[in-house]
Amino acid sequence: MKIALTVNGRKVGGELEPRTLLVHYIRENLNLTGTHIGCETSYCGACTVIMDGRPVKSCTVLAVGADGADIMTIEGLARDGQLHPVQEGFWERHGLQCGYCTPGMIMAAVGLLEQNNNPSEDEIRHGIEGNLCRCTGYHNIVKAIEYASAKMRGEQPAPAEWEVTA
Amino acid sequence: MRFVDYLAPTNLDSALSAFAGGKWTVLAGGTDFYPARVGHPLTEPVLDISGLDELRGISVTDDAYRIGALTRWADIKAADLPPAFDGLRLAAAEVGGIQVQNAGTIAGNLCNASPAADGIPPLLTLDASVELASQGGQRVVPLSAFLTGYRQIDLQSGELVTAVIVPRQVEEAFSDFQKLGSRSYLVISIVMVATVIAADPEGIISDARIAVGACSPVALRLTELESELRGKHRNDRALQHLPTRHHLDRLAPIDDVRATADYRFGATLTLIRRSLRRFAESA
Ligand SMILES: Cc1cc2nc3c(=O)[nH]c(=O)nc-3n(C[C@H](O)[C@H](O)[C@H](O)COP(=O)(O)OP(=O)(O)OC[C@H]3O[C@@H](n4cnc5c(N)ncnc54)[C@H](O)[C@@H]3O)c2cc1C
Ligand code: FES
Ligand code: FES
Repeated sequence: MKIALTVNGRKVGGELEPRTLLVHYIRENLNLTGTHIGCETSYCGACTVIMDGRPVKSCTVLAVGADGADIMTIEGLARDGQLHPVQEGFWERHGLQCGYCTPGMIMAAVGLLEQNNNPSEDEIRHGIEGNLCRCTGYHNIVKAIEYASAKMRGEQPAPAEWEVTA
Repeated sequence: MRFVDYLAPTNLDSALSAFAGGKWTVLAGGTDFYPARVGHPLTEPVLDISGLDELRGISVTDDAYRIGALTRWADIKAADLPPAFDGLRLAAAEVGGIQVQNAGTIAGNLCNASPAADGIPPLLTLDASVELASQGGQRVVPLSAFLTGYRQIDLQSGELVTAVIVPRQVEEAFSDFQKLGSRSYLVISIVMVATVIAADPEGIISDARIAVGACSPVALRLTELESELRGKHRNDRALQHLPTRHHLDRLAPIDDVRATADYRFGATLTLIRRSLRRFAESA
């Protein structure tokens, strides 16, 4: 089957076995290995990409089902060497340890902030409930997303907890 | 290697004629489809209906709300619907995280027919029906009859679910959904309870509907409890003592990895009491 789609602003496509999962197409055909595979059961969220503006789990979409779609992966976030505010937040607030969940976590957070530019802590925790992290305990991930949300609203992010002296 | 047949029709007529002419597995949002196939290659022919835009979205007529089969949980969560749908919208917000809400559809939830499907109890309290279409025609079946058993539904060969129909009866009624899982996020329900309760201006309950999921092969309405509630005032102290264990006699919860049957009975009583308290406080 022939497909044509846009990934990170680039037109891609070609002939494809219909059972190819979108995540395999992205990683193996396009060599964009930033999108991770954690479980392949639609549970962990490591494979999250943004498809037509909504975060989805790319292990739960056939590549042929993404025919015509506009897809953004973690590689599409930084512009001209500038990190996206969510990437910057993960850097500044230590939102990762091993990094396995990070690309999916960041894409979910980007999707969340697009819907809600000032989420509460509870809304952030709900927003990333489809993404599992076995390292961080989520605390710094929440802080990273709070950082990004402030930045994207043009505000000064709250200082990091370790910068606050009693 | 054999290539898998894959068809993605763009309108209902061509989907139905393809479906009538062959053996296909229907794929909508895929969030039940893929996890059920982990570890073995996809071999069956796939009819991907996710491009049937005419089956997506919510519309209103004089006597019913029509929720298109492909309407996603994210759409329901964001929809502008009257209070009686609050329970359904709460359920939508608790289905499997943002990514699953962005892909999973209402009809997929009903067709998968898990005893723990979160969409089912709220739709039972809304007296919803399922609209089905095949090349031969259309029929509408009450949801309670569509669900025939544990993961079994009344879907004939060549038939697709095209919509969920909710009659406009008690639009302004109080409505709630309570889900208990082993943690707050991304869980399969141990028990869930949906309620729709209408009261007249004096506070007398005119209509009460209570459905419990994950405690029987198919989610059930507690009709005895419902009729006991009818006619009572919202502030009646008797409400604080309802329900009792005998109201749950038709439930048949199982012991499994998530909880014991006894625990499920206890949790059901607690969740219903919480909903009744919310109702009493809602005026
Ligand atoms: C991580 C994760 C968490 C989840 N959490 C929850 C949860 O909290 N609560 C819950 O209830 N569910 C949950 N689910 C299950 C699932 O997301 C829902 O049941 C969803 O609504 C299924 O819809 P779908 O469109 O993805 O169905 P699909 O997977 O596409 O299809 C499901 C079944 O229905 C059939 N089908 C679909 N549409 C039609 C139609 N129109 N006509 C005829 N047959 C049809 C398919 O052939 C298939 O057998 C979860 C799933 C995942 C992966
Ligand atoms: S790899 Fe897709 S959800 Fe885990
Ligand atoms: S940082 Fe290791 S899984 Fe999240």
